[in-house]
Amino acid sequence: MKSGHLTLKIFLMIVLNDIGDTIAQAFMKQGLAATGISSVGMGNMAEFLARGVSSPVLWLGILVYVLNFFIWIIIIYKVDLSIAMPVGSFSYILVPIAAMIFFHEKVEPLRWLGIAFIVLGIHLVSKSKPSVKTGKAKT
Amino acid sequence: MIKIFVLVLISEILTAAGQISLKKSANELESHDLKKISAHLRFLSEVFSKPALWAGFVFMTLGLVAWLFALAEGDLSLVFPLGSLQYVLILFLAHFMLGEKIDRMKLAGTLLVVFGIVLITITH
Repeated sequence: MKSGHLTLKIFLMIVLNDIGDTIAQAFMKQGLAATGISSVGMGNMAEFLARGVSSPVLWLGILVYVLNFFIWIIIIYKVDLSIAMPVGSFSYILVPIAAMIFFHEKVEPLRWLGIAFIVLGIHLVSKSKPSVKTGKAKT
Repeated sequence: MIKIFVLVLISEILTAAGQISLKKSANELESHDLKKISAHLRFLSEVFSKPALWAGFVFMTLGLVAWLFALAEGDLSLVFPLGSLQYVLILFLAHFMLGEKIDRMKLAGTLLVVFGIVLITITH
């Protein structure tokens, strides 16, 4: 049932998923920034929530996030996680780039190094053999 | 920084709990050949009849709310990589709740993720 290798169609689906994730995070950040509240405590919680739920950009971000999640479920149903995870980890590179472009965030070299370790770690995790327990979903 | 880290941690614990519930419900599924639209629909209708799936959705929704609090507080380029804490939590949860094995490769990869998170945290 699952294909053991990465077809072009699935690869594009995963890349699209990474881009979707980046768009979702950027929209959510934009919507949250528009509330004008950068630190939420007990005192301004109600105001933060009220401004948040009335932000269309925030809802758009949540919508893309949810759609993207369903696409991801279909992806990991079609291919093993060991194939989907490395391609999926591109979002760890795309999101900081989007943060630099759209929110003018400064990403220090040390932060990029940290991100590189995370991506490398995800690749290693995906290289491990799946532990067959239920056997049902496998081949 | 501590507040952002704690918010991301709470978010990822809830999200990981959600993922474990979803995986539990997926493990119980019959296998489907997802080539036809009708098969997709049957797959989805079976998926949505599982209580563990709905529990998964509730956890993930709460996780998203905590995530939004973190994202309001910190830079996107800081908060997003911190989200990789999920890989660390899932390693342990999958081991203890789903009985998945932790081999050396998984452990090494997860340690690299932890090291990356430490580097990102000290840049703040």
